[in-house]
Amino acid sequence: MSHFKNSTVKIDNEEKMAGLALFTDDLPAKDFLWCRPLRSNIPCGRVRSVNVPKLPKGYYYVDAKDIVKENVVNIIFSDWPVFADRRVNYYGETIALLIGPDKQKLEELARMTQVNYDEEVPNFKLKKSGIHKEFKKGDLESVSNDYDYTLTETFETGYQEQVYLETQGMIMWLDGDKITIKASMQCPYYIKNAVVRTLGCDPSKVRVIQPAVGGAFGGKEHYPSMMAAQMATAIVKIKKPLKMIFDRDEDLMYTTKRHPSKTTYTGYVKNGKLVGVKAHVQLNGGAYKGCSGVVLARALIAVVDCYSIPNLEIEGDVYITNTMPTAAFRGFGSPQTIFAFEMFIEHIAKVAGLDPVEFKLKHLVKQGEVTAVNGKFHDPIILPELVEKAMEMSDFKHKYALYNKPGSNRGIGFSCFLHGCGFTGSGESTIINAQLKLTKDKNDIVHLYTSQVDFGQGNRTTLKKIVSDTLGIPEEQVTHEAPDTDHTLSTGPTAASRTIIIVGYLCEKAAKHLKEIWKPGVEQEWIEPYVGPDYIHWDEDTMQGDAYPGYAWGVNVVEVSFDPVTYQVKVEGCWSTYDVGHAIDDRIVVGQADGGLAQAIGYGYLENMEVAEGRFRQKTLSDYIIPTAVDLPMMETELIDNLFAYGASGAKGCGELTFVGGAPALGHAIEMAINKNIYKIPANPEYLMEVMENEDH
Amino acid sequence: MVNHHIPSSLKEALKILDAHDCYIMAGGTDLMVVKHQRSGLLPNFDKDVCYISNLKELQYIYEDEKGVHIGAGTKYIDIQENNLVPDLLKQIIDELASPNIRNMATLAGNVANASPAGDSIVGLYLLDAKLELVNVHGSRIVPIEDFIFGVRKIHRHKNELIKEIFIPHHDDLNTYWRKVGSRAAESISKVTFAGGYELDDDKVTDLRMAFGSVSVTVVRDREIEKKYIGLTIDEIHEKADEIVEDMEKYITPITDQRSTKEYRLKVSKNILKDFLLSIE
Repeated sequence: MSHFKNSTVKIDNEEKMAGLALFTDDLPAKDFLWCRPLRSNIPCGRVRSVNVPKLPKGYYYVDAKDIVKENVVNIIFSDWPVFADRRVNYYGETIALLIGPDKQKLEELARMTQVNYDEEVPNFKLKKSGIHKEFKKGDLESVSNDYDYTLTETFETGYQEQVYLETQGMIMWLDGDKITIKASMQCPYYIKNAVVRTLGCDPSKVRVIQPAVGGAFGGKEHYPSMMAAQMATAIVKIKKPLKMIFDRDEDLMYTTKRHPSKTTYTGYVKNGKLVGVKAHVQLNGGAYKGCSGVVLARALIAVVDCYSIPNLEIEGDVYITNTMPTAAFRGFGSPQTIFAFEMFIEHIAKVAGLDPVEFKLKHLVKQGEVTAVNGKFHDPIILPELVEKAMEMSDFKHKYALYNKPGSNRGIGFSCFLHGCGFTGSGESTIINAQLKLTKDKNDIVHLYTSQVDFGQGNRTTLKKIVSDTLGIPEEQVTHEAPDTDHTLSTGPTAASRTIIIVGYLCEKAAKHLKEIWKPGVEQEWIEPYVGPDYIHWDEDTMQGDAYPGYAWGVNVVEVSFDPVTYQVKVEGCWSTYDVGHAIDDRIVVGQADGGLAQAIGYGYLENMEVAEGRFRQKTLSDYIIPTAVDLPMMETELIDNLFAYGASGAKGCGELTFVGGAPALGHAIEMAINKNIYKIPANPEYLMEVMENEDH
Repeated sequence: MVNHHIPSSLKEALKILDAHDCYIMAGGTDLMVVKHQRSGLLPNFDKDVCYISNLKELQYIYEDEKGVHIGAGTKYIDIQENNLVPDLLKQIIDELASPNIRNMATLAGNVANASPAGDSIVGLYLLDAKLELVNVHGSRIVPIEDFIFGVRKIHRHKNELIKEIFIPHHDDLNTYWRKVGSRAAESISKVTFAGGYELDDDKVTDLRMAFGSVSVTVVRDREIEKKYIGLTIDEIHEKADEIVEDMEKYITPITDQRSTKEYRLKVSKNILKDFLLSIE
């Protein structure tokens, strides 16, 4: 018997378990031509010329010269070219597509194609800022001259690869003069808009349909727009159906990752309170800015996590380097700063001779208080309850006393955290403007249309459940098909933990309205525009105001053991409590909780990705190590309701929330087990050996 | 033109090997990875392939008065489940790769692949394993350390096939095993170590130490071992640092995408010391 109270069977369970679901590479594509990217093999330089061998009949070469209108990929900041034009800025940048029917032949042609460069000296250091943001709260100067203790520390976090089960892939064909696309994706309208922009065509000439998608984690938010823009340029030229599927090694080496970061904090403690913090957050954005400005914004908004600090001076930079651009990944900037600040707040408590656990609890934010960016926490906050429950589940206090001594080789740690749901500030009302359509046919079957992609996280099931529950009809009486831009209005991207808090809310409101006008046996339609809380005001330029429509909250407790012979960490226990408002389906939320925490723990101690001369060194999943089931204990999760006024049945977001706190909880546990501080993740055995051998830590 | 040969008997296999220069495919779990091309393309075999996985004559485990014989076609899963197999080898196989690999891969394949990170090879060095190689003319017996001489380098004549692996009985040998991988399963080793000792009261009458992943082949030095055989347990404990120092010259790891040479060296020494102090 399941212990889940309000869980339904996921719509896609059967087709996925039976292997019937068709992913992009499974779709019938008999006469499609393969697209094989030709990539730069230097990190930086001018492209003098490309010597393309004589192509056999039916083979094509498509590059920047074939661009129809604009050589940019439509991302938030559109500086990333569709094809490198006369210069390359990172190793692996796409210069051209080689296209033809035989993959082996394409490999030969790629080997025979010679790119002649004038190489330039690449920059891999964080020295050239491409985006700068800063803000203040209170008056830091007043406390920086009057304190009992101060501490300055720097923390580093590494790259992280999404490792979605299905690699990037896309097929594209012409349906008359309409470009039709199926792909592994998160955001159908991003792809559509990218094609429309590079071709300068009418939006009605591009259609994007979502097949089954095997995982995304942010990695399919922007990268598919790049592939679509390249293939659309090619399809205009050669007018043949196209297919591009990445192998795992290509996906590891040539698609976007999480931003590596370096964050320096200076804190001031007076009378047992952390009264001021100065911070500089540095992100490595790679060769192009893309969405990095928003990643930086979200990193800065979370710069003191869920702790109330009256005086702040915060600045952040995205640095441009000659490396693979970094982009969206579950958490979107906040995992970096939440890790750094969680470590810092415990370190500074120790320096001040205070108990780190009590110190953190004393600083938890409360309803009505001012946020880091001078907004307000409008809604009730139940962090103390979340903490108490998590500590009870994990027997925290007892274990803490038991392990907190030198040589115990065992540790337990906890993190408290928040995650802003939905687009930053009032972006949901001003930028996205989601519109949701419900129709009802003559048989009273209700059809739900969203542009939300179910890449495994379950929103085909949950959104449908919201509609059927609100209408008070059986689930079978509602259909929720995969997005197709010809039939679906844009309800926005599947990103930013916005699906349930925003689109779920829209589903509920639309269903309520449809219920009001419901006429049995009659075709009906209702279109619901998103109207968010009117008290949310945000200024993106000054980084001031209410950063998000709402917040979800969580506490993670992690227990580890440490092997002093090999410096290896073993995760012995994981306990979590979350306030996601209300779970539409508790099993689906726990699925997110287990997966998110597993991914976060991997980020914290295993997942090591290094760049050497601009190239990723870990090219296979034998070398880029993610945790297996054997590496993780059973996880326990409890959800505590805290209804949100602008959510379906009070629901907020949970996709990213379950990721952001794992690494610091693990970090605290490791610190206790080794009786030393750590300043870097992944805290792999190689790093922990350095820490153990170095007296300064 | 590349031919694929599927013999139905050992005799036929040997004839094929005598006539053609072949890759020998047993489980294929290493070979298929090495020859892998982009998805959708055939593996990149540049010479003939001879498949031996269906040869029942090579699938056996039996013991005689001298030791245990493991046929070259025996898969890990069958070795893992067999009571005749020494515990050390079973322990190694338990932590090796994943169930799906263990269902396909063979012990002999791991030996022939001769990777310095081949886990089972470390155990075979420690247990003084010998290989029986056969060709159309006859057979020869080779100690494993004389067979492997470098990274993926083995003394196999083109017409030879490993027929079996022989492990002498070690009824009184206490063994110790450490695999340092990057995670708990499906992990290529950063360092491996197998240790063994025999005791007569408090006297150490046999001492064996073998490292994997820290040099071009597995390393074991019988001269160093001999130096300390005959000492008491206490003397071994006292001389632990000296033994570590003696062995250190063999620990010449590299920095690669999986770990650093500093880590591999330090951990190798830690493990060796841990083993020596565990003798009691």
